[in-house]
Parts: sequence; C-alpha cells; structure tokens
Amino acid sequence: MLNNNRIRMMTKLAVYEEKEGKEDIRLSKYYKTDYVRYQAIKSVICATIGYALILVLIFMYQSEYIIKNAVTLDYKTIGIFIAGFYIITITIYGFASIVGYSLKYDRSRKKLGRYYKMLKRLEKIYNEETPES
Amino acid sequence: MMSLLVFRERVKNFYQRYDIYVTAFAKFVFALITFLAINAQIGYDSRLESLPVVLGLSLLSAFTPSAVMVLLAALVTTLHIYSAAPILSLIIIIIIMIIYFLFARFTPRLGYVLLAIPILFFFKIPYVIPLMLGAVASPLAIIPTACGVILYYLILIIKTAITMQTNNSIDDILGIYTYIIDSLVGNKLMIMTIVIFALILMVVYYIRKMMKFDYVQEFSIGAGSLASILGFLISDIILAQSEQIFIMILGNIASAAIVIVINFFRLTLDYTAVENVQFEDDVYYYYVKAIPKMSVTTPQMKVKHINVKNVAQGMSRAGLQRYEDSEEEIDEDDAYFDQGSNDDSWDKKGK
Repeated sequence: MLNNNRIRMMTKLAVYEEKEGKEDIRLSKYYKTDYVRYQAIKSVICATIGYALILVLIFMYQSEYIIKNAVTLDYKTIGIFIAGFYIITITIYGFASIVGYSLKYDRSRKKLGRYYKMLKRLEKIYNEETPES
Repeated sequence: MMSLLVFRERVKNFYQRYDIYVTAFAKFVFALITFLAINAQIGYDSRLESLPVVLGLSLLSAFTPSAVMVLLAALVTTLHIYSAAPILSLIIIIIIMIIYFLFARFTPRLGYVLLAIPILFFFKIPYVIPLMLGAVASPLAIIPTACGVILYYLILIIKTAITMQTNNSIDDILGIYTYIIDSLVGNKLMIMTIVIFALILMVVYYIRKMMKFDYVQEFSIGAGSLASILGFLISDIILAQSEQIFIMILGNIASAAIVIVINFFRLTLDYTAVENVQFEDDVYYYYVKAIPKMSVTTPQMKVKHINVKNVAQGMSRAGLQRYEDSEEEIDEDDAYFDQGSNDDSWDKKGK
C-alpha cells in the first residue's frame, strides 16, 4: 500500500540529499577537528604556493639588481625577511581558515540535525507499517 | 504595483516550470557575452575569434558548473595573449594563480564575479556587482570583487604592454615586465576602485541588515550608489581626473536601476523549482516530481463578451427567471448576466 505521508517525507529527504544536503552529508563523514585541520592544511599549502609565486614575481622584478649585486647582497637579512613574512602569512591563513571552517562545519551540522530527525521519524512510520504487511 | 507583482509571479511560474532550460540558456548567454567581450578587447588570435569556437565554448559552459566557465575564460585570455606575446602570458598565468591560491579559492560560488566585473567595466556599469552583492551576499564577497577589479586593470595594462613590445630580447621583456608590475602595483585608480567597491558593498549590506522599514532594500541600493558616486567623485578629485565624471554618474544610476529590477525579480534566492527525485523502499520505486505551490495566485483571464446578442439573451433570460422562476443554468460566457438576474435589485426593478 502506498503511504502518502511517508512518500511526502521521503521526497523532502531526497530533495535535500540531492541539493544542499550533498555538502552537509560529505562533511558529516569527518570529525570536526579532522575536517578543520584538513582544510587549514589545504589553505596553508595554497598560501605557500601563492607566496612562492609572489616571490618569483619579485625576484623577476628585481632580477637586474640581484644579478648585478649577487656577491654583495646581505642574504641573511633577506632570508629572515622572507621567512618572517612567510610565517605571518601562513599564520593569518591558518587561523582564518580554522575559524571560518569551524563555523561552516557547525552550520552544516545544524542543518544535518534536522535531516536526521526526519529520518528517524520516517523510520518510525516504516516500522509501524511493516508488521502489517 | 499589483500588476507588477502578478508579472513577477508569472515569470517565477515560468522559471519554475522550465528551470533547467532557463538556467542553461542564461548561462549560455552570459558565456557568449564573456567570450565576445574577451575577443573584442584582446582578440589577438584569430582562430579563437571564429564563431564556431565561441559558440562551442559557450555551449560547453552552459551545461557545466560555473568554475568551468571561469577556467575557460582564463584559458582563452591566456591563449590570446600567448599568440601576441608568449612571455606576457606566463606573467598572466602567475598572477591569476596568485589570485586563485590566495583569494578566490575561499569563495568558489562567486567565481562569476571575477568575470562579470571586467566585462561590466567595458559596458561602463561595474557598479552593478558591488550593489548586487551587497543586496544578496555577505561582506566576504569583497574578496572576489577586489580580484575582479585587479583582473580588469591587468587586462588594460597588458593591452598597452603588447603595443610596446618590439622584439624578443631579454632586456625588452624585462622592461615590459617591470612596466606591468609598476603600473599594477602603483595603480592608484585601481586601489581607489577596490576601496570604493568595498565601501558600496558594506553600505548596502549594513543598511539592509541593520535597519527595518518599508522598502529598505531599495533604499540601501540607492544609498550604495550614492556612496559610489561620492566616492568616485572624491577619487577623481584626488587623482585629478575629470573626463569620466558624467559617464560615471550615469553608470551609477543605470546600475542602481538594474540592481533594483534584478532584486525585484530575485528568483534564485527564494524560489524552489520543480524537483525530480527518485528513491525506493522495499516494495516500490518512486519517481516523484515535486511542484512548489504558488504564493500569489495570478488571476485567470476572464473574457467578457458584451454585444447585442448576449445582452438580448441576458435580458430575456432575466425575464424568464422573473416570470417562470425556471432553474438556473450558468453559462461561462453569460455568467455576468446570470448573476445580474439572480440579484434582488433586478427583481425589484422588474416588479
């Protein structure tokens, strides 16, 4: 027998699973710490690549000067500068992504909570139905 | 106002029913405009300018996610520049990669903004984007907006750099390269534009969020464009530029109008389209098509025939009812007259 109430519920769940729920369900496979750490590492790596590319641009820009003064350059200070800015950059990116992705995870969890509640209700209806048939 | 609301409901209805086609078509048109604009601005490679290539790329972007289109546009731009000056394309790639890795990857859904800003700049109405994003998005949207502005000025600089190029000696290339970086980093107009766009976005966003009164959306957009006009006037005074003031003000007014219209029709945010889903339980497979209920019903067309024959018929029927008290038969066309005949006033008049 078709149970209209149940079909309505299943439809709602299916729509959620297909659209906005896709991301939420994907996130639910991670623990919060794992997810946030993973995303933070990803953004630190991306920030590193970006930083390296900026360094390449600066190097190319100053290449004439660098080649001319290759012997007399103070490599130690330059190295400290580059490393210092790098640490500042990745700290900013790391912290920002920890905060941002934690918020995102919490929000998605909240939405998923509603989904699970509905699933439970569906299960209840289902259990009530099955003994009869 | 009512007829406008009804019109909006009709558009919404249409959109809900033909969701897939409308979205694909809109993406196709947007992609077409994008590629045509790129070709018009930096079309150095004639092979990429041919119509089949442009149409093919647009079709491809119509049926793929927005990221693909952004990628394709970046690719086409790079190839155009490559055919004119191979070294410059390398610089472009590096700069685009920096923009992606440091900024754009955090707002993947706003990838369109990166494309839309340079294109709208060529149409003189880039103000649409910050106004629109202020009305629909969060302040985080400042990031892609700023990136879009940088891309636009980068394209302008590249255009002049390509005309400068004479031969391929190392010194020349280095000279062009330093020219590009100098004009990109020291571009006060660009920095001003980024700051003002951010300001517009914040103004619209905070007025929309903080204040509660009727038409706050429209008011916030108006305030945003006012802030934009003032901001660009001040920047023109600081940078001693005066030739574009009139165009700027006109562009701002046009942008505000466009955004208000889009905002009125805002379909993508509060709509739920027809959903086709499938699932199963132990006994059945379900293929469900869920159609959302409409909130405001559009009035049905009702055609009233007023001509001699009908009037005569109506009169005679009214007469019939008065004298013979016969059973009512309501005809669609004559419903009006039947109502009239049922009315007490008719009877009183007759008696």
